[in-house]
Amino acid sequence: MANIRRKPTITSYVPGTILFLFALISIIITIGIAVILIRESYLFFNDPEVDLWGFLTGKQWQPMINKFGILPLLNATFTTSIIAMMLGIPVGLCVAVYLSEYASDKTRAILKPVLEVLAGIPTIVYGYFALTFMTPMLRGIFGEGVVEIYNTASAGLVIGILVLPMIATMAEDAIGSVPKELRLAAYALGGTKLETTFKVIIPAALSGLSATFLLSLSRAIGETMIVALAAGAGPKLTANPFEAAETITGYIVRISGGDVSYNSVDYNSIFALGLVLFVITFTLNLVSRKISQKFHQEYD
Amino acid sequence: MRKTTLFGSQTEIELAIKQRKQKGFVGQVIFIAATILAVLFLMLLLLSVLDSVFGYMVVRNEIEPSKFVPGTNFTQEFSREDLERVAEEHLSSGILRRVIHEKPISDRSDKDLIHIIDQYIIKPKVLRTWGLWDSVTKQEAIEAFVQENEGAQMVFRSWISPSFITSDQSADPLQAGIRTALLGSLWIILITFLVAFPIGVGAAIYLEEYAQDNRLNRILQLNIFNLSAVPSIIYGLLGLAVFVRAMEPITSGSMLLGFSDNTANGRTILSGGLTLALLVLPIIIINTQEALKAIPDSLRMSAFGVGATKWQTIWYHVLPASIDRILTGTILALSRALGETAPLVVIGASTFISVDPTGIFSKFTTLPIQIYQWSARPQGAYRNIAAAAIVSLLILLLVMNSAAIHMRNKITKKKRLL
Amino acid sequence: MAWLKIIHFSFYRNTFLTFYIYRKCKTTSTEESMKKIVVLILTLLVISSLSAGGKQEASVTAANQDEKNLSWMEGPSVHGLPGVNPLKVTGNIITAGSSTVFPLSERMAERFKDEGYGGTITIDSIGSGAGFERFTVAGETDIANASRGIKQSEIEAAHEIGRDPIEFRVGTDALAVTVSKENTFLKNVTLEELAQIFGAAARWSDVNPDWPNQPIQRFIPGTDSGTFDYFAEEVFNKQVEPLLSASNVQLSEDDNILVQGIKGSPYAIGFFGYAYYAENADSLNIVAIEGVEASAENVDNNSYPLARPLYIYSDATILQNKPQVAAFINFYLSYVNEEVVDVGYFPANEEAIERGRAAWLKAMGL
Repeated sequence: MANIRRKPTITSYVPGTILFLFALISIIITIGIAVILIRESYLFFNDPEVDLWGFLTGKQWQPMINKFGILPLLNATFTTSIIAMMLGIPVGLCVAVYLSEYASDKTRAILKPVLEVLAGIPTIVYGYFALTFMTPMLRGIFGEGVVEIYNTASAGLVIGILVLPMIATMAEDAIGSVPKELRLAAYALGGTKLETTFKVIIPAALSGLSATFLLSLSRAIGETMIVALAAGAGPKLTANPFEAAETITGYIVRISGGDVSYNSVDYNSIFALGLVLFVITFTLNLVSRKISQKFHQEYD
Repeated sequence: MRKTTLFGSQTEIELAIKQRKQKGFVGQVIFIAATILAVLFLMLLLLSVLDSVFGYMVVRNEIEPSKFVPGTNFTQEFSREDLERVAEEHLSSGILRRVIHEKPISDRSDKDLIHIIDQYIIKPKVLRTWGLWDSVTKQEAIEAFVQENEGAQMVFRSWISPSFITSDQSADPLQAGIRTALLGSLWIILITFLVAFPIGVGAAIYLEEYAQDNRLNRILQLNIFNLSAVPSIIYGLLGLAVFVRAMEPITSGSMLLGFSDNTANGRTILSGGLTLALLVLPIIIINTQEALKAIPDSLRMSAFGVGATKWQTIWYHVLPASIDRILTGTILALSRALGETAPLVVIGASTFISVDPTGIFSKFTTLPIQIYQWSARPQGAYRNIAAAAIVSLLILLLVMNSAAIHMRNKITKKKRLL
Repeated sequence: MAWLKIIHFSFYRNTFLTFYIYRKCKTTSTEESMKKIVVLILTLLVISSLSAGGKQEASVTAANQDEKNLSWMEGPSVHGLPGVNPLKVTGNIITAGSSTVFPLSERMAERFKDEGYGGTITIDSIGSGAGFERFTVAGETDIANASRGIKQSEIEAAHEIGRDPIEFRVGTDALAVTVSKENTFLKNVTLEELAQIFGAAARWSDVNPDWPNQPIQRFIPGTDSGTFDYFAEEVFNKQVEPLLSASNVQLSEDDNILVQGIKGSPYAIGFFGYAYYAENADSLNIVAIEGVEASAENVDNNSYPLARPLYIYSDATILQNKPQVAAFINFYLSYVNEEVVDVGYFPANEEAIERGRAAWLKAMGL
């Protein structure tokens, strides 16, 4: 067969290569993040006052007097995130089930935009809400002696409200992607809607749901402005969510707001903390992707 | 029909079915309650913000208007001659000089003179503010407070007003406005768009149209998904280390324009815009990929069929067909960037900046950062202006999103008519 | 708003040019599309440099004029300094430093603007230490605000970049140790009690058995703050360790966060500049130190133990090269005593300010 294709000239490769370079920029960003975080953390750990074991297990974080234990910050981060999950996961899951199983099309047409609006509100507004509404409300319920004016509980609850739309939409997608046949089969066997949902659909959508939970956990961990405004400004190792405690992200924002001098141990410490944050969220994201991919194959 | 089956007698089955139905009903109630709770949260959020935007405030004037014109309570009651006389006699020399320099007193409007006299001579000071709900329900308490403080007056105020948007930063909550912050935000979004849009769309075109399914491209794809889930503060750290510190000669403008006033400092709009561009890049890429995927292959095939090269099909057929969805997604990504606070705080927005940004090498502050600073201040009046700033931000986002949807509808309509 | 018109016009002109070129090259081939991309990038560069071009012109014209642009000196002389007409100065003034001095500088900047200053003033509230860093090491700022004196190491660092800091005293602060209005038991402390309250003690009753058996909640300025340095120096003899390793400590460079925290509990205590107390006097109580209250006379006659000076620092070369900075400092030194009490601080005594004025005159060669 005669080759009627136009002979590819050099210039026909040009657009593809340029666009490939554009795509490479995303790799450069990732490498950049890794390099910066690792390099500054290396400088941080190189400082004679800092050792890795003390960093990971130390109970006090106060760089000025050479106390570099990350536990108070980590503890506060997890406290707020867990409180957020305790609010967000049940409510979000119920909303998702309602939207996919019970709601009529009209209701869904109203509710989905409402959720999207909630998702689009900037986090600083949530921070303001935590400080001006949630904290006084908690203090009113539990008493002013019990709840400090900066506390991780109100920050945690508001983060829960923040991730609620995310959980609801992603869970709804996961539930909706379960094949219709499974549902119909369960109905045919005489199952009620509730039983079908909880005994058939949710286990079937488990991969998507676990991905949702892990992703929203990672979002809650990385949240900054709400904790900066409402959770507190001093690292404290405490199990009491009504006390003030600073999270990893809150600390980074406070220190960089106060203008760090380059090459000081303060400056390097925020990168070390950033590295820890990055590793945690990256791992969560990776695991969630792996889970959703692995279980997804079973129903193809 | 047999009386007993494998599952029990007829009555037992009916009982079991009833129980299951009841459980189902309870479940349905729980689900609906959860949904109502979610909607309630949203309304609570918006209402608590709106509550602070309007309300009574009790002010005390430093000098009462009645001192100048007996029998009056407000400068609005002064006559024209009174206004001019009070302005000329009682403004401090420095301020009078500036006022006359900008426009002679006799040329100024009444409203203008009232504003000047209020701002510089009467000088009302806010003693306390109340939200809308409190203003309606606690009238007696407010009036009691007015009685306690001599010389105080109760005034209803809407904290969001055209002058709020056009005034610049000030220490006095009555005078403060968001103009500087708003302009800073808009400048940064412009830079973000100019940088992220071409790169993002280009990368997405590569991944959708050119890339074969080999290992490198799968890593690229995975990498982009991971980047979209990285917390925004990490991008702030990246921006701080790279744009502010390492690329300081470029971002501060000293390399490009040779500044002589020694204020070179990487904390400029350019750095902020570049950092946010990195942040929204993965979102734009993913969104554009989805838009491109939605174009049916037949379009591409028909273009190939008439002899177009790959780039020609993309530029003349695929892109125009998908541009509406791409633009919508980009605008949504930009509205997310508009609300970002953490990366810009890490890069270093200024605390008090008195004049609007004049170019990409200016220092800046943005609307979310302004809200952050005002929220952190304990005096009541700052809560109110923080709420007013939040309302402005939400309105801006609403406008952007509506523009996105409107544009998409317009382009889609045009496509159908073709 | 002339700059807006310039950008508007040139943006449209450049966009038009781009489209014109696009139409011309409608015969498509990859070279043409490459050219279009290059043109687009160049257009963007041109637009961006044009938008910053306004600023460049300003600095060029400034350099063309005389080294000492003194046309802004007019009007009656105030306290021995030439009068200032802010209408006649322009350019930018960059200051950064103490959060204590911030309200005062902000007030003077606003007044400067109100009286006609047309340029930009940036004030960053980042702490005295960080402010000195920007002034003496990075050389980014024109004026450093400080609530403590400059250290020798900072002076040497400034010398290395060719700056010689000049000190201008602008006011006095009475460091306010504050508790919430609901705190009924604390009216007066001795310095030793302060050391315990902010240091080793865990509960109020550990310091004084009459006080409640509740944990002490501490709100203190961050480590970059001059207030922090000063407190450590006066109360802990320059040791920072006890302050920082105390339990229940919240640190922030933003004094507003501290005020908020102290308001929240009767068992909270903190310290910051007097102006932040004055602004919140309806919800906070100030504690007397060693029986002495923080008042104007006690500050003046030096009986209040925690009175400290407030400074701004600049350099002679900056004053000469940037007339707007010289004008602003002149304005500051002339009118600060009119504003300082309203802001919430106390006036520095006349001799100290006089020294600053003399230093200004010397730096300007007058």
